[in-house]
Amino acid sequence: MKHSVKDIFVEGPIDPAFIGTSIAKHATRTDIGAHEIFLGQVRADFTPGLTRSHENASLRAGDPVGAGADPSQAQSAGGNVSAIEFTAYREMALERMTVIREEAFTKWPSMTCLHVHHSLGTIPAGQLCFMVFASAPHRLAAREAVAWVVDRIKAELPIFGKEILADSTHVWKRNG
Amino acid sequence: MLRAIFEAMNVLLFGLIAEKAGTDQVQVVVTSVRELRMALEQRIPELSVLSHAIAVDRIIVHQDMPLTGNEEIAVLPPFAGG
Repeated sequence: MKHSVKDIFVEGPIDPAFIGTSIAKHATRTDIGAHEIFLGQVRADFTPGLTRSHENASLRAGDPVGAGADPSQAQSAGGNVSAIEFTAYREMALERMTVIREEAFTKWPSMTCLHVHHSLGTIPAGQLCFMVFASAPHRLAAREAVAWVVDRIKAELPIFGKEILADSTHVWKRNG
Repeated sequence: MLRAIFEAMNVLLFGLIAEKAGTDQVQVVVTSVRELRMALEQRIPELSVLSHAIAVDRIIVHQDMPLTGNEEIAVLPPFAGG
Protein backbone atom coordinates (compact mmCIF):
# COMPACT_ATOMS: atom_id res chain seq x y z
CA MET A 1 0.00 0.00 0.00
CA LYS A 2 1.42 3.35 -1.02
CA HIS A 3 0.93 6.26 1.35
CA SER A 4 1.06 9.60 -0.37
CA VAL A 5 0.56 12.90 1.46
CA LYS A 6 -3.14 13.18 2.20
CA ASP A 7 -4.92 16.32 3.28
CA ILE A 8 -6.48 15.62 6.67
CA PHE A 9 -7.94 19.10 7.11
CA VAL A 10 -11.59 19.97 6.66
CA GLU A 11 -13.10 23.43 6.99
CA GLY A 12 -15.69 23.52 9.77
CA PRO A 13 -17.10 20.72 11.95
CA ILE A 14 -17.09 17.05 10.93
CA ASP A 15 -20.63 16.11 9.93
CA PRO A 16 -21.84 12.89 11.64
CA ALA A 17 -23.42 11.94 8.31
CA PHE A 18 -19.93 11.98 6.75
CA ILE A 19 -18.84 9.39 9.33
CA GLY A 20 -21.74 7.14 8.32
CA THR A 21 -20.77 7.48 4.68
CA SER A 22 -17.13 6.68 5.53
CA ILE A 23 -18.19 3.47 7.26
CA ALA A 24 -20.45 2.49 4.36
CA LYS A 25 -17.57 2.86 1.88
CA HIS A 26 -15.87 -0.14 3.52
CA ALA A 27 -18.70 -2.55 2.71
CA THR A 28 -16.83 -3.87 -0.34
CA ARG A 29 -13.75 -4.64 1.76
CA THR A 30 -14.91 -8.01 3.05
CA ASP A 31 -11.46 -8.79 4.49
CA ILE A 32 -12.21 -6.21 7.21
CA GLY A 33 -13.60 -7.60 10.46
CA ALA A 34 -13.26 -4.60 12.76
CA HIS A 35 -13.57 -0.82 12.62
CA GLU A 36 -12.36 1.44 15.41
CA ILE A 37 -13.24 5.14 15.41
CA PHE A 38 -12.11 7.94 17.72
CA LEU A 39 -14.12 11.17 17.54
CA GLY A 40 -13.05 14.38 19.23
CA GLN A 41 -15.77 16.84 20.22
CA VAL A 42 -15.35 20.44 21.35
CA ARG A 43 -16.05 20.49 25.09
CA ALA A 44 -17.56 23.50 26.89
CA ASP A 45 -14.86 23.57 29.58
CA PHE A 46 -14.99 26.31 32.16
CA THR A 47 -11.93 28.49 31.64
CA PRO A 48 -11.05 31.39 33.91
CA GLY A 49 -10.78 34.69 32.09
CA LEU A 50 -7.28 36.04 31.79
CA THR A 51 -5.80 39.48 31.95
CA ARG A 52 -2.98 40.18 29.55
CA SER A 53 -0.27 39.65 32.15
CA HIS A 54 -1.88 36.49 33.45
CA GLU A 55 -2.15 35.12 29.97
CA ASN A 56 1.59 35.46 29.58
CA ALA A 57 2.24 33.92 32.97
CA SER A 58 -0.04 31.01 32.22
CA LEU A 59 1.94 30.05 29.13
CA ARG A 60 5.45 29.85 30.53
CA ALA A 61 7.46 26.86 29.40
CA GLY A 62 7.12 23.83 31.63
CA ASP A 63 3.66 24.66 32.86
CA PRO A 64 1.36 21.72 33.50
CA VAL A 65 -1.25 20.91 30.90
CA GLY A 66 -4.01 23.47 30.63
CA ALA A 67 -2.48 25.64 33.32
CA GLY A 68 -4.45 28.84 33.60
CA ALA A 69 -4.21 31.97 35.65
CA ASP A 70 -5.54 32.14 39.18
CA PRO A 71 -9.21 32.92 38.59
CA SER A 72 -9.36 35.08 41.71
CA GLN A 73 -6.85 37.45 40.12
CA ALA A 74 -8.39 37.55 36.68
CA GLN A 75 -10.22 40.71 35.66
CA SER A 76 -12.52 38.94 33.23
CA ALA A 77 -14.98 36.46 34.67
CA GLY A 78 -14.10 33.99 31.93
CA GLY A 79 -16.67 31.37 31.19
CA ASN A 80 -17.37 28.21 29.33
CA VAL A 81 -15.70 27.53 26.00
CA SER A 82 -18.31 28.33 23.35
CA ALA A 83 -16.11 27.36 20.37
CA ILE A 84 -12.54 26.55 19.36
CA GLU A 85 -10.99 28.29 16.38
CA PHE A 86 -8.43 25.90 14.88
CA THR A 87 -5.52 26.96 12.69
CA ALA A 88 -2.54 24.90 11.54
CA TYR A 89 0.90 25.05 10.00
CA ARG A 90 -0.61 22.99 7.25
CA GLU A 91 2.51 21.86 5.34
CA MET A 92 4.34 20.68 8.46
CA ALA A 93 1.21 19.02 9.85
CA LEU A 94 0.69 17.01 6.66
CA GLU A 95 4.35 15.98 6.57
CA ARG A 96 4.20 14.82 10.21
CA MET A 97 0.94 12.99 9.52
CA THR A 98 2.51 11.11 6.60
CA VAL A 99 5.32 9.91 8.88
CA ILE A 100 2.87 8.90 11.63
CA ARG A 101 0.68 7.06 9.09
CA GLU A 102 3.65 5.11 7.74
CA GLU A 103 4.81 4.20 11.23
CA ALA A 104 1.29 3.03 12.09
CA PHE A 105 1.19 0.69 9.09
CA THR A 106 4.64 -0.64 10.08
CA LYS A 107 3.54 -1.27 13.67
CA TRP A 108 0.18 -2.82 12.68
CA PRO A 109 0.82 -4.44 9.28
CA SER A 110 -2.58 -6.13 9.30
CA MET A 111 -4.35 -2.75 9.36
CA THR A 112 -6.42 -2.41 6.21
CA CYS A 113 -6.87 1.36 6.19
CA LEU A 114 -6.54 4.49 8.30
CA HIS A 115 -8.52 7.69 7.80
CA VAL A 116 -7.77 10.92 9.67
CA HIS A 117 -9.73 14.17 9.54
CA HIS A 118 -9.20 17.35 11.59
CA SER A 119 -11.26 20.52 11.50
CA LEU A 120 -9.98 24.01 10.84
CA GLY A 121 -11.93 27.19 11.47
CA THR A 122 -14.47 27.84 14.20
CA ILE A 123 -16.00 24.72 15.73
CA PRO A 124 -18.80 25.33 18.25
CA ALA A 125 -18.96 23.34 21.52
CA GLY A 126 -20.74 20.05 20.94
CA GLN A 127 -19.52 19.69 17.35
CA LEU A 128 -16.97 17.14 16.13
CA CYS A 129 -13.47 18.37 15.24
CA PHE A 130 -11.32 15.23 14.98
CA MET A 131 -11.75 11.73 13.60
CA VAL A 132 -9.36 8.77 13.47
CA PHE A 133 -10.81 5.69 11.81
CA ALA A 134 -8.86 2.43 11.45
CA SER A 135 -10.03 -0.86 9.98
CA ALA A 136 -8.39 -4.28 10.22
CA PRO A 137 -9.29 -7.96 9.93
CA HIS A 138 -9.36 -8.20 13.77
CA ARG A 139 -10.19 -5.66 16.47
CA LEU A 140 -6.90 -5.48 18.36
CA ALA A 141 -4.86 -3.92 15.54
CA ALA A 142 -7.56 -1.34 14.78
CA ARG A 143 -8.05 -0.46 18.44
CA GLU A 144 -4.34 -0.15 19.27
CA ALA A 145 -3.58 1.82 16.11
CA VAL A 146 -6.32 4.38 16.74
CA ALA A 147 -5.21 5.03 20.33
CA TRP A 148 -1.58 5.39 19.22
CA VAL A 149 -2.34 7.61 16.23
CA VAL A 150 -4.59 9.94 18.30
CA ASP A 151 -1.81 10.43 20.88
CA ARG A 152 0.82 11.07 18.20
CA ILE A 153 -1.36 13.63 16.41
CA LYS A 154 -2.08 15.54 19.61
CA ALA A 155 1.62 15.65 20.48
CA GLU A 156 3.21 16.27 17.08
CA LEU A 157 0.94 18.07 14.64
CA PRO A 158 1.28 21.87 14.64
CA ILE A 159 -2.40 22.62 15.12
CA PHE A 160 -3.41 25.61 17.26
CA GLY A 161 -6.68 26.18 19.08
CA LYS A 162 -8.12 29.46 20.26
CA GLU A 163 -10.84 28.77 22.83
CA ILE A 164 -13.53 31.40 22.48
CA LEU A 165 -15.27 32.00 25.81
CA ALA A 166 -18.87 33.01 26.41
CA ASP A 167 -17.80 36.60 27.20
CA SER A 168 -15.94 36.82 23.85
CA THR A 169 -12.48 36.73 25.46
CA HIS A 170 -10.22 33.88 24.43
CA VAL A 171 -7.59 31.54 25.78
CA TRP A 172 -5.12 29.49 23.73
CA LYS A 173 -5.58 25.75 24.21
CA ARG A 174 -2.53 23.55 24.73
CA ASN A 175 -2.13 19.78 24.74
CA GLY A 176 0.02 17.98 27.29
CA MET B 1 30.11 36.71 4.93
CA LEU B 2 28.80 40.08 3.85
CA ARG B 3 25.70 40.75 5.88
CA ALA B 4 24.64 43.53 3.54
CA ILE B 5 23.94 41.06 0.74
CA PHE B 6 22.54 38.35 2.97
CA GLU B 7 18.92 37.96 2.13
CA ALA B 8 16.17 38.58 4.67
CA MET B 9 14.37 35.42 5.76
CA ASN B 10 10.66 35.18 6.13
CA VAL B 11 9.59 33.70 9.48
CA LEU B 12 6.09 32.21 9.80
CA LEU B 13 4.25 32.88 13.06
CA PHE B 14 1.27 30.91 14.35
CA GLY B 15 -1.44 31.07 16.99
CA LEU B 16 -0.61 32.95 20.18
CA ILE B 17 2.79 34.02 18.80
CA ALA B 18 1.18 35.62 15.72
CA GLU B 19 -1.36 37.29 17.99
CA LYS B 20 1.38 38.81 20.19
CA ALA B 21 3.41 39.91 17.16
CA GLY B 22 0.36 41.40 15.48
CA THR B 23 1.33 39.66 12.23
CA ASP B 24 1.76 36.14 10.87
CA GLN B 25 5.14 36.83 9.23
CA VAL B 26 8.30 38.73 10.12
CA GLN B 27 11.54 39.22 8.21
CA VAL B 28 14.95 38.73 9.82
CA VAL B 29 18.54 38.66 8.58
CA VAL B 30 20.35 35.90 10.49
CA THR B 31 22.89 33.16 9.84
CA SER B 32 22.04 30.72 12.63
CA VAL B 33 19.18 29.53 14.82
CA ARG B 34 20.87 31.25 17.78
CA GLU B 35 20.79 34.58 15.94
CA LEU B 36 17.24 33.88 14.86
CA ARG B 37 16.12 33.44 18.49
CA MET B 38 17.76 36.73 19.48
CA ALA B 39 16.28 38.59 16.51
CA LEU B 40 12.82 37.20 17.25
CA GLU B 41 12.99 38.21 20.93
CA GLN B 42 13.80 41.77 19.85
CA ARG B 43 10.85 41.84 17.47
CA ILE B 44 8.44 40.06 19.82
CA PRO B 45 9.43 40.82 23.44
CA GLU B 46 6.70 38.52 24.84
CA LEU B 47 8.46 35.54 23.25
CA SER B 48 10.86 35.28 26.21
CA VAL B 49 7.99 34.22 28.51
CA LEU B 50 5.99 32.21 25.97
CA SER B 51 6.50 28.52 25.40
CA HIS B 52 7.45 28.01 21.74
CA ALA B 53 9.44 25.90 19.31
CA ILE B 54 11.41 26.80 16.18
CA ALA B 55 10.88 24.68 13.06
CA VAL B 56 13.45 24.71 10.26
CA ASP B 57 12.13 23.18 7.04
CA ARG B 58 9.17 21.79 9.00
CA ILE B 59 11.28 19.99 11.61
CA ILE B 60 11.57 21.25 15.19
CA VAL B 61 15.16 22.13 16.10
CA HIS B 62 16.43 22.05 19.67
CA GLN B 63 19.99 23.18 19.07
CA ASP B 64 21.85 25.87 17.21
CA MET B 65 22.49 25.30 13.50
CA PRO B 66 23.62 27.48 10.60
CA LEU B 67 20.97 28.98 8.31
CA THR B 68 21.65 29.77 4.66
CA GLY B 69 18.60 31.97 4.16
CA ASN B 70 16.73 29.48 2.00
CA GLU B 71 15.10 27.54 4.83
CA GLU B 72 11.43 27.67 5.76
CA ILE B 73 11.36 28.97 9.33
CA ALA B 74 8.37 28.89 11.69
CA VAL B 75 7.71 29.80 15.33
CA LEU B 76 5.21 27.42 16.91
CA PRO B 77 3.28 27.90 20.15
CA PRO B 78 2.06 24.78 22.05
CA PHE B 79 0.06 22.35 19.94
CA ALA B 80 -3.66 21.96 20.52
CA GLY B 81 -4.85 19.46 17.93
CA GLY B 82 -7.40 16.77 18.63
